[in-house]
Amino acid sequence: MQVDKAYSYIFLTSLIIYLVAIFWGLFLTPEDFVQGNSYRIIYLHVPASFISQSLYLGMAFASAIFLIWKVKLSAYLVRSIAPIGAITTFIALVSGSIWGIPTWGTWWVWDARIISTLILFIMYLGLISLHDSFTNNEKADKFLAILVLVGSVNIPIIKMSVEWWSTLHQTASITISDKPAIDTLMLYPLFASVIGFSGLVLCLVLLSSKLQILNRERNKSWVKKYV
Amino acid sequence: MFNFAFSSISEAIIMESQNGQNHGLYVWSVFGIVFGTLIITFFIYRIKIGNLSKKIK
Repeated sequence: MQVDKAYSYIFLTSLIIYLVAIFWGLFLTPEDFVQGNSYRIIYLHVPASFISQSLYLGMAFASAIFLIWKVKLSAYLVRSIAPIGAITTFIALVSGSIWGIPTWGTWWVWDARIISTLILFIMYLGLISLHDSFTNNEKADKFLAILVLVGSVNIPIIKMSVEWWSTLHQTASITISDKPAIDTLMLYPLFASVIGFSGLVLCLVLLSSKLQILNRERNKSWVKKYV
Repeated sequence: MFNFAFSSISEAIIMESQNGQNHGLYVWSVFGIVFGTLIITFFIYRIKIGNLSKKIK
């Protein structure tokens, strides 16, 4: 029950932060000199994009823990994150496409950043299908963990695609080493939207993990006591 | 400290830019997709957990 209470607090706090950030970004920041008002999509697109890649890294980390130390919960977590990762990547792709219409004059271009993100989306769907196609859960967990680790090579490719190839997609506006290329008036609500969105996605991952644990441990006595 | 970027609700909906283009359609459709997807996903998980809990009971 303590867990449920903590979950409610995380959910409400994240929702408030996200709504404030979106309000701030959509109504209180000035219009962009080059892109006009369409740049406001940044407050919805960037958090989804950032989280879609972070979730995959989380899956890779959990996969490594599962393969090295055989921690069962890590395998459950990998399977739980996959659908949420697919959803956030879907949001990133669709919001980017819609943003492309007023900015680039087209909703889709076959450039390196977009293709590598599309591959990430297909990978998430493939991992879910692969796991569900097995009748033996232990074998499925092992295959999934190995494939997640192999697929993690795509994350640095997504990150560096705008540097390595000539792309229509702009280069990163925020880097660790340089000063942000985005004005602080627009930057703060962006940070807030990333924090709020991350919290909401964390809640989704917790729900997905709960479903996974209940499903896989349904015959155990503690589950019967819990529900 | 903060100034509203738009002077009326209709302006905020249309989001006319300095280049004369209306960007409200793009911004608000992305807003709808993001919130719609999040809300639907939350409900789906809630329903799935509820159904599974009933089965286990």
